[in-house]
Amino acid sequence: MRGFPVVVAAGIVAAAVAGGSSVLFASTGPATVRITAEKEQITSVDTGAKGTSPGDVQVVRQTLYNRHITDKPIGHSEFVCTVTAGRSRLCSGTFFLPKGKLMVSGPLRYRQFYELAIVGGTELYDNAQGSLTITRLSVDPPRSLALFRLVG
Amino acid sequence: MRRWRSSSLTVRTTIASVTLGIVVAAVAVGLLSAVFAARAAAHREVRAQDLTSATLDVQGLVVDLETGLRGLAITGDTRFLEPWVKARAALPSHLQSFKRLAATEPRQASRARELAGLITAYIEDYSAPLVAIARDQPAAASTPVATAEGKRRIDAIRSRFTTILGQEQSLADRSAADADRQSRRAVIVAIVGLTALSAIVVLFAIYIARSIARPVRQVAGEAQRLAAGDVIVGLTEMGPGEVGELTRAFNSMARQLEARRRELEAQNEQLRDSEHAKSELVSIVSHELRTPLTSMLGFTSLLTRGDLDEEARQRYLEIIAGQGQRLATLLDDFLSVQQLEDGRLELRNDQVELAALLRQQTELYSAHSEAHEIALELEDASLPVVGDEGRLAQVVGNLLSNAIKYSPDGGRVTVVAEHVDGHVLVRVHDEGIGIPDKEQARVFTKFFRGDAAARGIAGSGLGLAFARAVVEAHGGRMDFTSAEGQGTTFEIELPDASAAQSPAQAGSERSNA
Repeated sequence: MRGFPVVVAAGIVAAAVAGGSSVLFASTGPATVRITAEKEQITSVDTGAKGTSPGDVQVVRQTLYNRHITDKPIGHSEFVCTVTAGRSRLCSGTFFLPKGKLMVSGPLRYRQFYELAIVGGTELYDNAQGSLTITRLSVDPPRSLALFRLVG
Repeated sequence: MRRWRSSSLTVRTTIASVTLGIVVAAVAVGLLSAVFAARAAAHREVRAQDLTSATLDVQGLVVDLETGLRGLAITGDTRFLEPWVKARAALPSHLQSFKRLAATEPRQASRARELAGLITAYIEDYSAPLVAIARDQPAAASTPVATAEGKRRIDAIRSRFTTILGQEQSLADRSAADADRQSRRAVIVAIVGLTALSAIVVLFAIYIARSIARPVRQVAGEAQRLAAGDVIVGLTEMGPGEVGELTRAFNSMARQLEARRRELEAQNEQLRDSEHAKSELVSIVSHELRTPLTSMLGFTSLLTRGDLDEEARQRYLEIIAGQGQRLATLLDDFLSVQQLEDGRLELRNDQVELAALLRQQTELYSAHSEAHEIALELEDASLPVVGDEGRLAQVVGNLLSNAIKYSPDGGRVTVVAEHVDGHVLVRVHDEGIGIPDKEQARVFTKFFRGDAAARGIAGSGLGLAFARAVVEAHGGRMDFTSAEGQGTTFEIELPDASAAQSPAQAGSERSNA
C-alpha cells in the first residue's frame, strides 16, 4: 500500500554509526537524536474486503541516513502495520543499526505526522525507552524525519 | 635623615619632583582605571540591553511563527500564514545579530547558539514541514501529536528565551551597579587624589618657603644691610645644600668685608693721624723756623741801616747768631729723631757712670731757673750703664728742661736714681701743670705739644720722642705718670752694666730686629 506512513526513526544510532563514540541511550540519560528515513519500499497485503479494511497489512522498508555525519546509509528500518479501522493502523517496527536494534510500536492515523513509543532494544540499545516522532518532510521523493527522544 | 640634611638642593628638588610625579601618576592611573572600569561596565550594560532587545525581537518572530502556524493548522486558511512567512524571512538576519551580540559573553554565546539551533530545528524539522502537511492534509497538521510536538518545541525555545533574558537582565543589573560603583570610585579617587596633590603641593610650597625662600630672603636682607654699611652679625647657617652653602659663603664674605672695613678704618685713622701729624709738623716747623728767621731778618734789616752804633750792631749780631744756633739745634734734633726711628743714628757703646751724668745735668739745669729747686737723690753711689753718654745726657737734659718749662710757677724737681732688678731706674718728678688725660697717649708723638704753645711754653715737640727713641735704642724703656695740675713723673729704665752685656748692643740688636 503505497503512501502508507511508515517513517522509520533511527536516530539513536547516529553517533554509534559515525564511529562508535558516545551513543545516547537509556543508560546515558535524556537525549534527542535526529535522523532521516528515505527510499521507501512498501509491500501491501490486502486481506478481507477489497481495498483498505481492518486486517490489511503493510510492510515498509526504508534506508536510514544521518547526513550531519555521513552521506552513506547508516542502516534500515522495517515496519509492519495492520489496519485497525478507517485510517487507523497499529504499527511495530525495528530499526536495524550497526550496533544493535531499536524496537518501536504504536498507533497512527496520519502518516504525515505521528508518534510511536520506543519499546526496547538489543545489544547497545538494550532497555531503550522514549518516544519517536515522525514528520514527513517531502512526498516525492519520500523523505521523513525521525526524532528520537530517549528518557531514563 | 642626616643624608637628607646634607643632600644638595638639586637632589632634594629632584626627589620632591619625582615624588610628586609618582603621586600624580598614581592618581592618574587610579582615576583612569576607575574611568575605564566605569566605561567597561557601561558598555556591558549597553550590550546587555542590546542583546535583550535582540532576544525580544527574535522572541517576537518566534511568536509570529507559532501564531501563524497555529492559525493555519486550525483554520486551514493560508492568510493566517502571513506572519509566519514574514517571520521566517526575517529570522536569519535577526538570529545572526542576536548571536553576534551574545558572542562577547561565552555562556550567553553558548545559550544563544543553542537557542538558534532550537529555532532553526523548529522551523526546518517541524514548522515548515507542518505547513506543507497542512496544505496537503489539514487534519494531519492539527492532530494532538502535531500540536504537542509544537508545544514541546516552543516550550523548550521559550525556556531558553527566559534563561537568556534573565541572564541578560541580571548582567545588565550587575553592569549598571558596577558602572555606578566605578563612577563613585572614580569620583572618590579624583577627590582623594586632588586632595593629596593639593596637600603635597602646599607642603612642597611650605618646604620651599621654609628651606629656601626664608634663608634667601635673610641673605638678601643682610646683603642690603651690608650694602648700607651696617655691621653684619652673621646669618644662621641653615637651609638645604646650596642654600646652606650660600649662607656660609655670605657669612664668610661678610666677615672678610668686616675685617677689610676695620683694616681700612685703621688705615684711615693712621692716614688721618699721619695727615694731622704732617699738618702739625708743617705748622710747628714753620712756626719754629719762622720765629728765629723773623728775628734774624728783623735784626739783619736793622744792621743794614747806617745809623747804628757799634754796641747795638754787636748786640744785633749776637742775637742773629743765637737765633741761627737755635735753628741749627732744631734741625739737628729733628734729624736725630728721624735717624733714630730709621735706625740710622750711630750710638757709642761706652761705659757710662749715670750717677755722675745725673749730677752734672742737675747742676747745669739748676742754674737755668731760680724759681725751681732741683734735687738729686741717688740711692746708690755708682750707677753704671753702657751707651752713648752724649745722647743719654740729652735725654736727662730734655726731662729736666721739660720739668722746668711745665712748672711755670716754679717748684721742686726731684731726680731719683737707683738699681732695681738688674736695671738702673731714673725718675724725674715735677710739681707742674701735669698732662691732661686726653693728651697722655700722644706725649711721645713727634711735634705734639698739646696746649703748650698757647701757654707760651717754648719747645719743638721733639724732645720726648727723641728721649724715648734714645732710651729704647739702649735696650731700656721710658714711661710716665701724670695728673693734671699735680705734676708729672718720667722714668727711665736702662740695663745695669754690671749685670749684663752691653745694653746699647742689646738695644741695637732689638732695633735692628
